[in-house]
Amino acid sequence: MSVDLTQNYFNVFGLPVQYEIDRDALDSRFRELQALVHPDKFVNGTDEERRIAIQSTGFLNEAYDTLKTPRLRARYLLSLKGVAFSEENDTTNDIDYLMQQMEIRESIEDAENAEDPFAELDQLRTIIKSRQQDVENDFRRSYEADDLEQARQAVLKLRFCERIFSEIRRIEERLDDF
Amino acid sequence: MALLQISEPGMSTAPHQHRFAAGIDLGTTNSLIATVRSGVAETLPDEHGEHLLPSVVHYNAEGGVVVGQKARMKASQDPQNTLASVKRLMGRGKEDLTLLAGHLPYTFAETDSSVPRIKTVAGEVTAIEASAKILSVLKRRAEETLGGELSGVVITVPAYFDEAQREATRDAAKLADLNVYRLINEPTAAAIAYGLDKKAEGIIAVYDLGGGTFDISILRLSKGVFEVLATGGNSALGGDDFDHAIAQWLLEQAELEQTHDPSILRQALMVARDAKEALSQQAAVDVQLGEWQGRLDNTVYRQLIEPLVKKTLMACRRALRDAELDKDQVVDIVMVGGSTRVPLVREQVAAFFEKEPLVDIDPDRVVAIGAAQQADVLAGNKPDEEMLLLDVIPLSLGLEMMGGLVEKVIARNTTIPITRAQEFTTFKDGQTALSIHVLQGERETVEHNRSLGKFVLRGIPPMVAGAARIKVTFQVDADGLLSVYAEETTTGTRASIEIKPSYGLTDSEIETMLKDSIAHAGDDMALRSLREQQVEADRSLQALDAAMQSDGEQLLNESERKQLLAARDKLARERENQNDSEALKAAIKVLEKAAEFYVERRMNRSVRDAMAGHRVDEF
Repeated sequence: MSVDLTQNYFNVFGLPVQYEIDRDALDSRFRELQALVHPDKFVNGTDEERRIAIQSTGFLNEAYDTLKTPRLRARYLLSLKGVAFSEENDTTNDIDYLMQQMEIRESIEDAENAEDPFAELDQLRTIIKSRQQDVENDFRRSYEADDLEQARQAVLKLRFCERIFSEIRRIEERLDDF
Repeated sequence: MALLQISEPGMSTAPHQHRFAAGIDLGTTNSLIATVRSGVAETLPDEHGEHLLPSVVHYNAEGGVVVGQKARMKASQDPQNTLASVKRLMGRGKEDLTLLAGHLPYTFAETDSSVPRIKTVAGEVTAIEASAKILSVLKRRAEETLGGELSGVVITVPAYFDEAQREATRDAAKLADLNVYRLINEPTAAAIAYGLDKKAEGIIAVYDLGGGTFDISILRLSKGVFEVLATGGNSALGGDDFDHAIAQWLLEQAELEQTHDPSILRQALMVARDAKEALSQQAAVDVQLGEWQGRLDNTVYRQLIEPLVKKTLMACRRALRDAELDKDQVVDIVMVGGSTRVPLVREQVAAFFEKEPLVDIDPDRVVAIGAAQQADVLAGNKPDEEMLLLDVIPLSLGLEMMGGLVEKVIARNTTIPITRAQEFTTFKDGQTALSIHVLQGERETVEHNRSLGKFVLRGIPPMVAGAARIKVTFQVDADGLLSVYAEETTTGTRASIEIKPSYGLTDSEIETMLKDSIAHAGDDMALRSLREQQVEADRSLQALDAAMQSDGEQLLNESERKQLLAARDKLARERENQNDSEALKAAIKVLEKAAEFYVERRMNRSVRDAMAGHRVDEF
């Protein structure tokens, strides 16, 4: 990996290290940098150059993906502060939140048999979006206050939101197939 | 060394040589080749003025091969030896064939190879070899028109082609002796042609219904950057299925649905195809099959094909969802592929997007034209062109986990190239090996996804369960092709594979085919390889000289410079020796290796320069 590209993702895009992100700046700098290192620029280059180009572009894509996805961005900010995750095993200890999520999951299953399942699912999606917004705000506050454990809990909650979105998506696709 | 030049955009290091480049649309029904001449991209006709080359290959008893229109005319007389729609077989294994069997009049040979072989009077052939014949004809057409050898081509594939199908396409190009700059997705190519032509900005949808495949892609066009946001489709659904639906209806009407006679089946298909074309213009058409005569009207025709069109709209809905967009955010819908001429298709697409689709670009040629424009940029013929293509993988990539479940490592619609690592661990005490099974697809269980390959990481030192740290890295290159590496990080035990799809040709099969291939008859392979290495050597030498002249003083210290110059001189001497391509290749490698740190340094500096003015303290 080439040296400068291993620096922190925020610096790569010239963005301040914080949760709030200027999406337009991120997008335009991403394209600017891609234009420099993309393998398409080195089609007639040597194997070595092509290898570096693929690595650099891969790194940029990963960095971009991380910064534009709320959970990954939050998680990344914490990792910069040395907070480790094992998301497959960790789960939030907020019982109320877990109960809420279980209710949502039940609603999703019910929605599948509703008269207009797509409308039901859309509605559920809106609810989750607003909950996700609350969790994001919670993360931002905790992170700024350096309450890393609270911030970590928020990331785990965001994972739940993601899972529910993908569950909704899965059901929509299943409905599409009929 | 192109990369060495990037920090000096204003300074040309070597006079640029115009390279002949072309775009190839290798279609199910027809194929085309296009190139950019005097700034204009256009498809190239054959000597009779025909641009479309029917993707049909006929093999005769004398061992001869005919491609195109003449081959198509043989289809009804000699279906067994006339391969049409072979694109449907690309990258398909024997077990896939049972799905297609009803549609194909060929006899397949018993073979040990994982690639199905079709029996013809001229011997057994694969879909890859038949495709190579088509590519060779197009290559010759372009080289005769341009008056020189092609440096490289961009070949289009359906966005929804999986790993195996992409590899098969690359293999066909290799057999046709073509240098492939890049495989790009057909809808993306169409978007390039459309975007450059209309100077469009914003979100567009490309609806591509070809003979055998359907693709939908959603792109964002912004200041020369073509960013694919989502892609979807079905690699086994196309206009041919309309023909089959009509043919089935004809057979039922004629009470011939039990027949297995290939010539009757062929005839039903031909009648169906003509009827379909006629119904694009008129309300009803008289049809005849064997003794039976009848009339097919638009109402029946629509009923026959409507379920197929609906399937394409489901894929559109899914792609929009993946892109997290609503229909009303789409500014234009570009229609691609001959099957979008069918009025019902246009109507349904318009109804779905609530907007009239664009049909003013020739749906047959737009893909080849976009590919030619991309090839021209990749060849370096447009150094000032600000065009950049950011494409995605169409299908998720993952690994088999305990219990036959699939863990996704890279989700579909992730921008490529991408490198992503995931950590796993052992689940038994003292476990010394881990089997890694790579899969492609969206489903949750192994058996519903496509197996891309398996390998075993051995030599893990015995530890308690859960102590080993096994990092599995997926790397997808700009063509959408995958490599997978595994490493036990506490000890550094490694294993890796370039994914060769389970249905791909082995290297030795490719080698045999290359030797057999007519393209190489009379061509001295050794000499050819030497010439290639010489060109490569010259390119490396020139690039290094130019780079060192421009910033060797600033970026390198005395001993680094000496080292590089020593490697340079060694290569220059090998270049003089003129006769050993292997030695030359090795010397190029040595120089590249030696220059690697310098390349990275220059690259980083150029990235830094680009970022200058965008510092954190701005905020």
